[in-house]
Amino acid sequence: MSDWPARFEEELVRLGLQPARARRLSAETAEQAGEHGTDPDRLFGPAHLYARHLVTELRAPALVSERHVSGPVMLRLAGVGKRYRRRTVFSGVDLTVRGGEVAAIVGANGCGKSTLLRVCAGLIRPDAGTVHRTRRVGFVPQDGGTASWLTADEHFTLFGAAAGMVPRKARSTGTHLAARLAWRPAPGQPVQQLSGGTRQKLNLVLGELHGPDLLLLDEPYQGFDQGSYLDFWQQVRAWREAGRAVVVVTHLLHELQNVDHVLDLGAAGGNR
Amino acid sequence: MTPRPWLHGFLDLCLLAMLRDQPDYGYGLAHRLAVAGVADVPGGTLYPALLRLEQQGLAEPSWAPSDTGPRRKYYAITPAGLDLLAAQADEWRRFRDGVDSLVGSPEVAR
Repeated sequence: MSDWPARFEEELVRLGLQPARARRLSAETAEQAGEHGTDPDRLFGPAHLYARHLVTELRAPALVSERHVSGPVMLRLAGVGKRYRRRTVFSGVDLTVRGGEVAAIVGANGCGKSTLLRVCAGLIRPDAGTVHRTRRVGFVPQDGGTASWLTADEHFTLFGAAAGMVPRKARSTGTHLAARLAWRPAPGQPVQQLSGGTRQKLNLVLGELHGPDLLLLDEPYQGFDQGSYLDFWQQVRAWREAGRAVVVVTHLLHELQNVDHVLDLGAAGGNR
Repeated sequence: MTPRPWLHGFLDLCLLAMLRDQPDYGYGLAHRLAVAGVADVPGGTLYPALLRLEQQGLAEPSWAPSDTGPRRKYYAITPAGLDLLAAQADEWRRFRDGVDSLVGSPEVAR
């Protein structure tokens, strides 16, 4: 466990702390463990997870009464429009989402909710307007994105590698995030044997694996049972409190009381 | 022991109050919280909270050697910390009295 401080420091830097500050925090953390006569792994858990926790805590405002301070802008859409051939899907869309805020994209089927989310993610280029987004983005599509013959662990490794994580770290992070959604991946089980809801959980975990500042979610709770559904919204609140920005496509209007912005794309059929 | 969400809300207040009485280091503060019956605070909760107080200028750190292990980081409360503590302590008393009046009323105990 002697490389704990090094891994901790590395993760702090990756999360945006100045290297000198990361080094200082890492040294202090080792000393704190010394106070308790134990090693950092025992006191704080896995290095990268404690690094995330610490960065979150340091961003959070102090004390009870000053809750909910919005952070830096993570996503800004200005005058965004999209056409398919001659049909206008949407136009003139403005949306600003800061760290610690949740935005919901709502509207009837076919009004372009998923298209707009893909524009936010940079997967589709808009025909009009500008999109600015933060560097670290997690995108959770409504379906697909997983390989049916691979196991959950193999997905963690694969997606982790794409984000520059070593396999062991990617797997431990994935397992930890899955547990928050009340899911324990069975070793050796290929994804095609998972239920639709569990596959959706895998998508969620993969979207969050690299600790993104902006999460883009397309109805990520399809196939969830009631308990998992509640876990999901609990998770959204946790992300918000951690200073992350969340954009979620939803058709469930009763959840809108819990969000900061509602973007209604209106009825289908290009009425704009 | 105190439920986690409660502790989260009041940990900063408790830390500032303890530092008002005397400067202390992490392990010492954890010990005092446990002895007071408030909570067994995990290290992963305590140390980030202390760093936050430091970052916001509410507590000032200084290093001191220890006989037994590595050097220790002692925290002392700052004037800003004292101001905030006074305001928060008032808020806490109002809240506590309010909850007491509800929990303690005989109608509830029925």
